[in-house]
Amino acid sequence: MTLSAGTIPAPIPTDSAERVDAVSTNQRALDEFLRGVERRALRMAELGCGNRDDALDLVQDAMCGFVRNYAAKPAAEWAPLFYRVLDSRLNDLHRRRNVRNRWLAVFDRHESEDGDYVDPLSQTPDLQEPGPLLRLAGSEAGKALDAALQNLPGRQRQAFLLRLWEGFDVATTAKVMQCSEGSVKTHLSRALAALRRALEDHQ
Amino acid sequence: MSNFDKNALPEWTTQAKRLLDDSANGLDAATLSRLNRARQAALTTRARRPAQFWFLPAGLASACALLLALAVWQPHHAGGDVSSPSAAAVAADVDDGSADTPEFYQDLEFYAWLDAQNAQRKEGEG
Repeated sequence: MTLSAGTIPAPIPTDSAERVDAVSTNQRALDEFLRGVERRALRMAELGCGNRDDALDLVQDAMCGFVRNYAAKPAAEWAPLFYRVLDSRLNDLHRRRNVRNRWLAVFDRHESEDGDYVDPLSQTPDLQEPGPLLRLAGSEAGKALDAALQNLPGRQRQAFLLRLWEGFDVATTAKVMQCSEGSVKTHLSRALAALRRALEDHQ
Repeated sequence: MSNFDKNALPEWTTQAKRLLDDSANGLDAATLSRLNRARQAALTTRARRPAQFWFLPAGLASACALLLALAVWQPHHAGGDVSSPSAAAVAADVDDGSADTPEFYQDLEFYAWLDAQNAQRKEGEG
């Protein structure tokens, strides 16, 4: 059916119109939420995996997983749920890396038997080497903090970033980390002590 | 959300937070562009979701309907048991005119069972 220039299209039923409005409102709210967390999420992922490209992939996976599974939840619950998804993706990446490193270790051994020895330590990323961002900023304190955070055990780093940077309370952090509140306090305390030691020269 | 006691945290953590904020706010344009694309991709996933959402219940409903059809169909076609003659055989035996009524066909299973019982009793007496 073709509409002439003056034809008025049939009005959309009220229910449908309200539903469309609700969906578009929800999309806008989701967009704003993701826009608000994406930069911090990227930095957290980068500190966790030590690589910008992997971190971007992780954040995209986390965004898709979050939208697919939790978009219908109340907006107040989005932030902890998003970081839980991100943490899950980060753990998956570490597992994959461990498996790959195990295989690489086998091949390295074969190569060393042929006399072409490759030092495994030379293959690991240099944690003291700042990311491109920090190099541009030229901040010694920033570099030191970046390196110190990358050197922290994952759970301690997570507790520190979620509590101090993201500003979650202990209960919410425990929910994201899927552990008890006592464990969060322990991880945070150890993280603060380790970071303090590492950053003493830069205070 | 940030309702924890900031006084309990060491002073240097404020500086650490500021440094982290600076690093997040100073991301380069290429990275921001990739983040934007990632966000749009995620929101597109959301837009596609309603169509996929009905696959599971629709599949379950179809499976239930199939199982129900099989359950209804199966008892009428489980022939071969000597002790329980088929419903068709019972219908053939009854020729008093009542076989034409719908009530008869509804109680066909009962008549089959009754017939089997009678046959067993006759064998017992003989």
